Amino acid sequence: MKLFKKKQEFYLSDRQPLTLMGKLMLTLSYLILIGWSIVIVWPLSQMVISAFNGNQGRYLILNRVTDGSYEFSMKHFRFLFEETLYLTWVKNTLFIALATAAITILIVSFTGYAYSRFRFKGRKPSLMAIMLIQTIPAFAGITAYFTMHSVISSVAPFFSRQMMLILIYAGGGIASNTFILKGYMDSISTELDDAAKIDGCSNMKVYRLIIMPIVRPMLSIIALWSFIGPFMDYMLPRVLLTNPNDYTLAQGLFTLMNNRETLNQPAFAAGGLLTALPIVILFAVLQKQLISGLAQGSVKG
Amino acid sequence: MAKYSKVLYDYIGREYERKNLYLKEVALLQEEIKTAPKSDKNALKNQLREFISKKDKNPYLLKLKEYEHKEKRFLEELQSKTKTYMETMDKTLSSAVLGLEKTLFQSKQKVDFYEAFTGLTYDAEYAYRESSINVKLLPTIIYNIKRLEEELRKAEKFHSEENKETIRGEIDKFKKEQKAVYDHRLQELKKKRRDGLISEKALKNGQKELKKNYQYAVNVKEYEHPDKMKRELVKSKKFELKDYIKVNRRIVAADIADARRTTPVETMKTLPVNTVLGALVPGLGQLLNKQPVKAALFFIGLLFIYAAAIPYALGYGNYQGNGIAGLITLAEGARRIDRSLIFMIEGIVAIVLLLFAAGIFIANFKDIRSVEKSYIKGSREKNWFETTRTIEEEGFPYLVSIPALIVISFIVLVPIFTAILLSFTGMDPRNQSKFPWVGIQNYRLIALGQGLAGSVFWRILGWTLIWTLTATTLAIFIGFGLALLANNPRIKGKAFFRMVYLLPWAVPAFITIMFFSIMFSNTGALTEIVTNVFGVSIDFKNNTFWSRFILVMMQGWLGSSYVFLLSTGVLQAIPEDLYEAADIDGANSWQKIRKITLPMVLFQTAPLLVNQYTFNFNNFSIIYLFNGGGPFNPSVYGNLAGSSDILISYIYKLTMDNQYQSIGAAISIVISIGLMIFAFIGYKNSKAFKEERL
Repeated sequence: MKLFKKKQEFYLSDRQPLTLMGKLMLTLSYLILIGWSIVIVWPLSQMVISAFNGNQGRYLILNRVTDGSYEFSMKHFRFLFEETLYLTWVKNTLFIALATAAITILIVSFTGYAYSRFRFKGRKPSLMAIMLIQTIPAFAGITAYFTMHSVISSVAPFFSRQMMLILIYAGGGIASNTFILKGYMDSISTELDDAAKIDGCSNMKVYRLIIMPIVRPMLSIIALWSFIGPFMDYMLPRVLLTNPNDYTLAQGLFTLMNNRETLNQPAFAAGGLLTALPIVILFAVLQKQLISGLAQGSVKG
Repeated sequence: MAKYSKVLYDYIGREYERKNLYLKEVALLQEEIKTAPKSDKNALKNQLREFISKKDKNPYLLKLKEYEHKEKRFLEELQSKTKTYMETMDKTLSSAVLGLEKTLFQSKQKVDFYEAFTGLTYDAEYAYRESSINVKLLPTIIYNIKRLEEELRKAEKFHSEENKETIRGEIDKFKKEQKAVYDHRLQELKKKRRDGLISEKALKNGQKELKKNYQYAVNVKEYEHPDKMKRELVKSKKFELKDYIKVNRRIVAADIADARRTTPVETMKTLPVNTVLGALVPGLGQLLNKQPVKAALFFIGLLFIYAAAIPYALGYGNYQGNGIAGLITLAEGARRIDRSLIFMIEGIVAIVLLLFAAGIFIANFKDIRSVEKSYIKGSREKNWFETTRTIEEEGFPYLVSIPALIVISFIVLVPIFTAILLSFTGMDPRNQSKFPWVGIQNYRLIALGQGLAGSVFWRILGWTLIWTLTATTLAIFIGFGLALLANNPRIKGKAFFRMVYLLPWAVPAFITIMFFSIMFSNTGALTEIVTNVFGVSIDFKNNTFWSRFILVMMQGWLGSSYVFLLSTGVLQAIPEDLYEAADIDGANSWQKIRKITLPMVLFQTAPLLVNQYTFNFNNFSIIYLFNGGGPFNPSVYGNLAGSSDILISYIYKLTMDNQYQSIGAAISIVISIGLMIFAFIGYKNSKAFKEERL
């Protein structure tokens, strides 16, 4: 027994024992890491706290949690659901996001396949053109979007502003997403395609049966990014959507902050919390895929 | 005198002897003339002329004429014969069988007729070969279709003598038995788990397997029920029939296509007449080339060109504008409600439509020409079956890119061109509805810093550059530093740190920016804290320096998260042995970072970090949502911009709030060109570009 007890006195780690300097550095590292965590968490926690603080009127009251002015309440959430169009905004944003993702995937899966697997005339110049077009900010066209919509909707009255927005998001994403998908497909051996073709598959079938199942991870990442885009964007909805019933979340929540008539900062905090929560969970679960998707696109492109 | 070649060439250049003796003679003479010495040339030429002048009496051509005459009569007779034959057929047969029977009957007649002429002309030979393929393949196919149809009918009439109730009972009983087996085995598994013989996962998998087995057994048993049996039988027979017809149609078509490719065609024609005729009328050339389905497709293009694109460009059917002419006039002298901008956009749309039209013209011309040229050379035009194959293989990338092309043209290119043209006009608050062309005046205003809108351009550009550099670099430094610290193997709780550091990236930026904006307002929480800690009260949002400072800090807060996650991913992928080797060589930790970590991380993330700079250059939301570009200082910045405005938010204000659209457009064009050059240099140097992997 004595032998086993002695074992604890041995130094068993693979790493060298820390010197005093090393210990100091380690402590410092911890301090910095924890310090930055606080810097990140504090503002966000303030948002969470104020979302539940029933003692606030139309303005936020922060830093007063301990002196008795804090009262847990759901009244801001109630306000959000009953007095504002929050649910409509959620619905609009979801609609825009889903449609954008669907259209993007539909178009990009074809173009990515074409650029990765076929050598056709005009391939290189068009790729270069796409690459350069993609650097022009969507912003450059804002003057035109509005007028274009009025022209199109005069021909097709069902064409709403939201649809225009969807097309702008999807159209703007084609270039970069084609690149990402093409890069990913390039890494898949063409032997699989050849085998399938020998077995009598048409090009469409090769895509559907062979390529698509393999690139599905990348497709889902592209879909996810296109889906998240409309949640994050403020500028284009602001330019295009003028009716509060058409607003997206970003735009709607901003009215709670800068419009004197509808100003309600705690409700903004509550709405922000509700909006952020699902996205944060999504990011936390999928962080690895999201990051690798980004890296892939850039390295290959 | 046009030249004839001595032999015929098919699509891959195989040579075939001419069967048209007249043309062969002409070709031979022509060749002789070419190689003959000068003195003989004239004599030979005369000979040729004489030969051609006797064309009407050429024995071969007379024979050919006779054949054509006979063929015409034969085909007419065949029509009526087929009719009488089809009347004798059993009317209860399915349409598929009847169609095939008709083809078979006609083919049989054709084989008999054409066989005699195969030596005379390739057309007859082709007709003979096509018919013999039909005669060879169709009987079996018809027989099998009939058999399958019979089986299908039987399946539909299928009636089991057995009592449905009893079978149902049997099946239920069987189900119960299986269920009992399932339960029993599951109990066994669970017991094993309790005894610790197998793991939780094994239990779960075992349960899944048992369930699958159970369902499978039950499903198989279910087929004993007469209703189910019948349903499945009919379904499978229907499929078998459909599939058989489809596959065998393809086989016959492929065989015929093969015959087409290996039987050349001979024509007296030497000039591409159809190409000339069909150049401006898509569809006509294909029709003359005997490709009716293709012609129908090009006819749609014809409709698009002559019924949509050209009238639109001429000003018909426009919403308000005047086609391309509207681009020049910009609604000058038009009605009061007409707006120049609409005229401009419709002019651009007209140009895009015309470009599409030009594309159709080119495709049409190329198509007719290539078909006709190879026809003259000796290869038969493709039938629809072959054409679809070509489209599927070679046309595929173009075909699937069409949706993308349309969306990009109208949603991306039209607005961009509008912006480009707009930057050469004088659209400002006073000229909203109607505005003229003003040439490069807007660019001059920007470059010289003149005018109400242009005067602050350079100042804003300066801040934009400072902002881009400091904010992005700060974020990269923080993110990378944290990643380095957190990657230390001695640090515990990595998952926690990673989770926390993810937050600024995951929470939509507009929410955090707006919240910070509240907290930095005059009575905001952070302002208060600063006042309490440092004892000075600063009005952050009304002080240019502090506003800018906080914006940079905020972007550091927001952007570091992304850089952190990115570099963590790369850091973890660096192989450990590099560091071990460095340790053995006696490197200290700073050297290890400088010589191993930094190059590895930078190499992999460089393009993304460059993207971060462009992103911040155009980071509209943080500037606009935090303080609306403020604080405002009219003595320095005029009334149009605030002192923290960057170019993109300045453009927004010019365009949306103050209606200086043309100057806004000019600035966005300048930015876009700058970014494009930046990106172009980046891509040119990228590995992918150099390796021609594009």
